[in-house]
Amino acid sequence: MELKFAKLMSVAAVVTGLAGGALAQDYPYRDITTAVVWGAGGGTDTINRMIMAEMEKHLPVSINVTNQTGGVAGSNGMVYVMNQPDDGYTLVGLSESNVTAAVQGGWDKKFDYWYPFIVGGSPDLISVPANSPYATLEELVDAAKAAPGTIPAAASGAGSIHHLNLLAIQNGSGAEFKFVPYKGSAPGQEAAIAGEVALVVTSLAEQAALIEGGQLKPLAMLTPDSVEIAGMTVPSAFDSYDGLDKYLPLKQAIGFAVHNSASDDIKAKLGAAFEKAIAGEAVAEWAAANNYDVGGQYGEEASKIFATLEANFAYTLQELGAATVDPASLGIEKP
Amino acid sequence: MDFVLSQLVGFGGAFVALVVDPLTYVYLVTSVFLGITFGALPGLTATLAVTILTGFFGNKIPLDYSLIALLGAYVGAIYGGSYPSILLNIPGTAASAATAMDGHPLAKAGRGGEALGLTTTASFIGTLIGTVALLIFVWVLLLVSKNIASPEKALLALFGILLSGTLMSEDLVIKGWIAGLIGLAMAMVGMDPLLSEPRYTFGWSYMLSGFQVVPVLMGAFAVPQIIEGLRHVEAGKMIALQGRILPNLAAVRRHLPTITRSGVIGTGVGALPGVGEDVAGWVSYGVGKTVSPDGKNFGKGSLEGLLSSETANNACIGGALIPLLVLGIPGSPPAAALMGAFKINNVIPGPTIDPNIILRVVAIMVLASFTMWILGLFTARIFIKILRIPQTVFLPVVMVLTAIGSFSVGGGINDLYLMLGVGVVAYFMNLMKYPIAPLVIGVILGGLFDETFRRSLFLSDGDLGVFVSRPGAAILLTLNVALISAQIPALRRAFANLRRKEA
Repeated sequence: MELKFAKLMSVAAVVTGLAGGALAQDYPYRDITTAVVWGAGGGTDTINRMIMAEMEKHLPVSINVTNQTGGVAGSNGMVYVMNQPDDGYTLVGLSESNVTAAVQGGWDKKFDYWYPFIVGGSPDLISVPANSPYATLEELVDAAKAAPGTIPAAASGAGSIHHLNLLAIQNGSGAEFKFVPYKGSAPGQEAAIAGEVALVVTSLAEQAALIEGGQLKPLAMLTPDSVEIAGMTVPSAFDSYDGLDKYLPLKQAIGFAVHNSASDDIKAKLGAAFEKAIAGEAVAEWAAANNYDVGGQYGEEASKIFATLEANFAYTLQELGAATVDPASLGIEKP
Repeated sequence: MDFVLSQLVGFGGAFVALVVDPLTYVYLVTSVFLGITFGALPGLTATLAVTILTGFFGNKIPLDYSLIALLGAYVGAIYGGSYPSILLNIPGTAASAATAMDGHPLAKAGRGGEALGLTTTASFIGTLIGTVALLIFVWVLLLVSKNIASPEKALLALFGILLSGTLMSEDLVIKGWIAGLIGLAMAMVGMDPLLSEPRYTFGWSYMLSGFQVVPVLMGAFAVPQIIEGLRHVEAGKMIALQGRILPNLAAVRRHLPTITRSGVIGTGVGALPGVGEDVAGWVSYGVGKTVSPDGKNFGKGSLEGLLSSETANNACIGGALIPLLVLGIPGSPPAAALMGAFKINNVIPGPTIDPNIILRVVAIMVLASFTMWILGLFTARIFIKILRIPQTVFLPVVMVLTAIGSFSVGGGINDLYLMLGVGVVAYFMNLMKYPIAPLVIGVILGGLFDETFRRSLFLSDGDLGVFVSRPGAAILLTLNVALISAQIPALRRAFANLRRKEA
């Protein structure tokens, strides 16, 4: 009797053990870590902390957000996540700026190494100092056409998303500015306020406080839609120049990614949680408060967006002589 | 008036937000305690305290809390240095070297408790004076800063490096400049900010992001201190503390003129780029000696002397934060570490800094000085016990903390090699009496100088005239030229002759 009972117990133990094992295989069963490749407090970091907190609500586990900064165009963090197993427990928080890591020699992978999720981005706009003589984009462009290459323009570093937007407006309107690179958006905006440059191209999120404070005068959005801010309507540059839609919009794409080699099950689970989070009230509220547009693309759709950005960035950097690796050698096709 | 009122309201808001958050106290008390401990242990400096905490907390906790931790440690450490100065005649930090001049004789005369009580209160008032100055002048400077463009920034950065080199040198000024130039050269490594070309990277991708600030800080400030401390164990004779540590408000009231004067001097010195608390202490001590009626007793146990240096070094903190917050130019070496903390949090100190951060910094400073005062009055005995820990025990612990801190910011093993490399170089520079602070200021301001100098020329199409034609730039250029020419022997002789003739 005693023996029989022991046998029964062991059988029961094996059965429950197996069941437990099978359950444990279901992704996700332990906490997920998202390594953001940019610093804490920055746009990509803030967005990731926000969206991960929302996604947590739709997943049975928690998500920890850490930062792995440094390298070239965030290559440290991407290499770090690349070296983690592709089991969906390590995600990478990134932005459109990371697509240049390969051509700048930070790592040797095309961006399709990732399976991306785009939370959103803030649209770029062209602004001038508050006391600027230019009141509309047309006036500014006409002045630039009258004296090509003399009007100084700030747009972050060479090859940044803002620089690409500046190049696009030049190509689309036929104006030529004197591009002055700055280490990031804030110093460029400061320079515009100090009158060192005549115009600045950065994102609405970055300029919002300065526009509301009356320090910058917005001229035109570099997206198809106009925007209401600080009691005024900022028109779209598309209304002024027809050819612009050939070059624009080039928008920020901030979000996160998992290894593309991860299993379909992992991608589907993350996708489902992502969809629910994006549809939630919190994301919409956050986006409105911070002047971001919600993206919500993931998988193939997001990959296409990133591929376009990657090609655009890579060949622009090559033209500028800032690419250390030939984009063609990485298999990036010319846009 | 509206402006002042709105600032006060903003400050009040930030203050209340801090006061009602229980986490504030956790960080505040811990960090001030840690700061005092660091300051009290000879060989561990305020810069080191702020640097190590930057390594640990810089990007691990929200910026709001890491600011509490860093500023708390900064305030605590500058104050903590007065313990060994008074009781051991060994300055706990360079900042309180002048404190030992009068503090130790006082302790020998059996007035150690009185001296500590007074320095605690003086440090508290000094910190508050610096903080009030910060609250006022930051806005003045913010208004002016709209006219500060690339040419001014370039000259200001150069001025910071040169001034730090001039004032931090032990013997030859040129050695300070050499250290500053080495730092400037180190700042050139990495991605060129204007053309996005790699410079001096030797094809090594780690170098593309340049020398990371935190490992360089750790290497420059911590490693040499630790090696030096372990080589020469300083065993000063501890004087038993006599008398109770009390704030003695009557004495404070009597010496209020001295305290106020020292506070103003300290703040002013702090606001100069790259010049820290040690200079503030000495300058204030020197001024006190000349103007105070008690001047002849300085160095023999004068309370005036004690208060002169101890108020000034704490007032220096607020002063040092002014150029840091408004111009991104650290006013002292610990402020340089704070700048590193801002940077790893993607907050770029400068004219467009979020005004709320400034208000928050001011509120934290006020709370930190209160915490320091209370801890100083009630737990002084603990710090005196800590003083008895032999260096051979705590220095290795600090080394481990330093290594962890360096590693944890970037999370790369190369950062550790960088820290050790810089540390060994810094150690030998110390042996040859080259000051290290200008090197670090050079690394931090060198990038700014390089970027803004070249951008000025880029904007003016290579015309050097931009450095003369703009009024702000012209003034700064004159200051730079004056600073350099004051050290040229021939010119110095000429000046001396001129003065003699006049007399």
